[in-house]
Amino acid sequence: MVVTSQGEPKTPTPPPSAAVTTTATAPGSTPRIRKTRSARRASRYAPTRSAAARRRDLPVALLLIIPSVVGFAVFYAYPTLRGIYLSFTDFHVLTPPHWVGLANFHQMFGDDVFWHSLLVTVYFVILAVVFGTLASLVTAVVLHRVTKSSALRGVILLPFLISNVIAALVWQWMLDPSLGVVSLVLQHLTGHSILFFGSSAWAIPSLAAISIWKWMGYYSLLIFAGLQTIPSTIYEAGRVDGAGEVQMFRRLTVPLLRPILVMVVVLTVINSFQVFDIVQVTTQGGPANASNVLQMYIYSKAFRQFDFGYAATLSLALFALLITVTFTQLRLARANESDLS
Amino acid sequence: MRRIKGVRKTVALGATLTLAALLSACSNGSSSAGGSKTVNWWTWDDKQAAAYKVCATDFEKANPGTKVKITQYNVNDYFTKLTAGFVAGNAPDAFQNSVQFFQAYASQHQLLAMDDYIKKDNFDLSRFSVGVDAWKFTDGKQYALPLDWAASGVYFNEDAIKKAGYTDQDVKSLNWNPDNGGTLGKMIAHLTIDTKGRRGDAKGFDKSHIKTYGYGEIASKDFIGQFTWNPLVSTTGWRLGDKTTWPTVFNYADPRFVKTMDWIRSLTDKGYAPKIGQFNDSVSDVDLLSSGKVAMETGGSWEASTFVKIPGVKVGIAPTPYGPDGKTRSVLSNSNGNNIWAGTKNPDLAWKWVSYMGSEACQSKASLTGTFFPSIPASMDASAAALAKTGVDLSVFTDMIKDKVLYPSPVYGNGAALQDAFQPLFQAYFAGQKSDSVFTDMQNQSKQLLAKK
Repeated sequence: MVVTSQGEPKTPTPPPSAAVTTTATAPGSTPRIRKTRSARRASRYAPTRSAAARRRDLPVALLLIIPSVVGFAVFYAYPTLRGIYLSFTDFHVLTPPHWVGLANFHQMFGDDVFWHSLLVTVYFVILAVVFGTLASLVTAVVLHRVTKSSALRGVILLPFLISNVIAALVWQWMLDPSLGVVSLVLQHLTGHSILFFGSSAWAIPSLAAISIWKWMGYYSLLIFAGLQTIPSTIYEAGRVDGAGEVQMFRRLTVPLLRPILVMVVVLTVINSFQVFDIVQVTTQGGPANASNVLQMYIYSKAFRQFDFGYAATLSLALFALLITVTFTQLRLARANESDLS
Repeated sequence: MRRIKGVRKTVALGATLTLAALLSACSNGSSSAGGSKTVNWWTWDDKQAAAYKVCATDFEKANPGTKVKITQYNVNDYFTKLTAGFVAGNAPDAFQNSVQFFQAYASQHQLLAMDDYIKKDNFDLSRFSVGVDAWKFTDGKQYALPLDWAASGVYFNEDAIKKAGYTDQDVKSLNWNPDNGGTLGKMIAHLTIDTKGRRGDAKGFDKSHIKTYGYGEIASKDFIGQFTWNPLVSTTGWRLGDKTTWPTVFNYADPRFVKTMDWIRSLTDKGYAPKIGQFNDSVSDVDLLSSGKVAMETGGSWEASTFVKIPGVKVGIAPTPYGPDGKTRSVLSNSNGNNIWAGTKNPDLAWKWVSYMGSEACQSKASLTGTFFPSIPASMDASAAALAKTGVDLSVFTDMIKDKVLYPSPVYGNGAALQDAFQPLFQAYFAGQKSDSVFTDMQNQSKQLLAKK
């Protein structure tokens, strides 16, 4: 699952001490918030008391954050640092790593397969984002404007409930050039069958289509939720002014949905950059590297060729890339004020 | 969660290794308890796993208090799992291995050299007719006993041949050359049938609607082509490496090789053979022949009994065609090895099991299933005789030994990297995206990859 972009990158800071005290002493949900606020306000007037309280709370606070700090250190911080270290080494798992300085980076910049797989990944991301967002938007709007049946709205979410591997396997069989149902229908209609996974031109579009099919329901649901926040009075006003459905969609729905759409795009981009499982199941990077996305290349370097040092270098490059992308997107997402207010 | 893919991967590896370590701690604990000793042996072949059960039972009877545990993993996971086992310290005591990974494991000190045991037991290596040298490392030591040998042959649908006006003898005396394909090329064209029933060499033949391909998947992804193009091109005298063991270059730029690839590409272009990706990887060559999608194809020797026993289809076996001179056949043969892990807790027992597996007694019994060809000639004869009674005639392959048609597979380093580098290039070439110049690039690239340790 993907976490929403807002809020996550902030480092976990211990909550203000006053909040801890009040939460501990005052159970009950709604009043708690109010009390917290008032306590915070109170702390501004009585700083000495707060400092004392903070000191007393310190052991408890440390105790409370230990689980997440340990988890973070063991599963995030240490592997990250070790990964960075390994990217400067020649490491084949069975023998200890051996420092090679920047040799891996030199190799990477001259590695055609690496640059190619970067392009392939970006191509996949573009297809998945553009068509994925469009498809989800249209589906959500249709659901919103046409049907009120919650069963139908639930059905659209079904592909999201299937695991990626299963989805990829099922599609692989359906698209199989000799046995697949899609190919049989195509052959019936056009007289030709398409090598969906077997030809270079079709491999990435086919994979992107599977990914879109799988995630469309989820994103539609997010957009759908956004649509429900738009008051129906706005549409009534639009109708009074004589706007048609299409015009209302373009002039009212889309602008008012902007914050949600930004979020959906951010999620799709991040999600698509991580594509691996459906590639591993279907094409394994083939044919002729046509679907060799970066994750796939890293995987085969590390787990097929046991060249873990170089794979760590590639991972570091991907890390830098994703940081850049995420940072840019957070910037964009900050334009987050809804036009409704 | 969406943070960093690289980190996630490292974490995954770390977690796997930790988990593996935990598991190994458990399994070691249980096997040492109770006084009985267990030998773990791994293979990637489900049929061989079943075949060697006979030997395991005999071995347990002869050595009271020992147990042999045979485990099989699918070949796609096998080597990853093995490596994880090396790192975590729970690799099997002994295991089947492919030449492709020999150098990687030996150079990282994961394999036990068997010379001391061989000397101590006076184990006679000359009992094996093939495969001993393939498992000698650069340090001159013997790291495995050969488990089997494999060659390639031509399997054909007898009905298709008859309907096309040929006899079995025609298939057995085919010849081939890289310029026009010889009699093999003519036969392939004639055996191909489109959906309207027109043959490949007839007028109006429609190459985009094929009912039956004349030849199987010969445009291959793998860089040795053992069961596809290798038996053809090697009849010209071409060899993959500049030397048999530890070559420094692969001769892809040789004009004989390039001409052969051109001819193969012309087959797929004309619709006489399926393109790469035409059939899903899960469709085996046995499926292709039994479903009538292809009329004839090259395949591995270990598939002989499976082919012959296809219900409803009569399959004939022929040797691979003669070369351009009309009298040379040439077939690459490889041998998988039986390795002992350097980190085993019971090296003596592991050797006992491995050497028992390398005995005539075990090989003759296990190979009765016909799922592999033993490296010991006496066992091979016994196996062939037993299978002949069930209607599987292996004489095509046994004759290859007698006629000295076989030549050993090259032993090379860095196999996985070679495979990953060349597979996309072969695919691109056969898909028409790259020209003949790709082979010069491949030859240059092979120098670097083979030199890498």
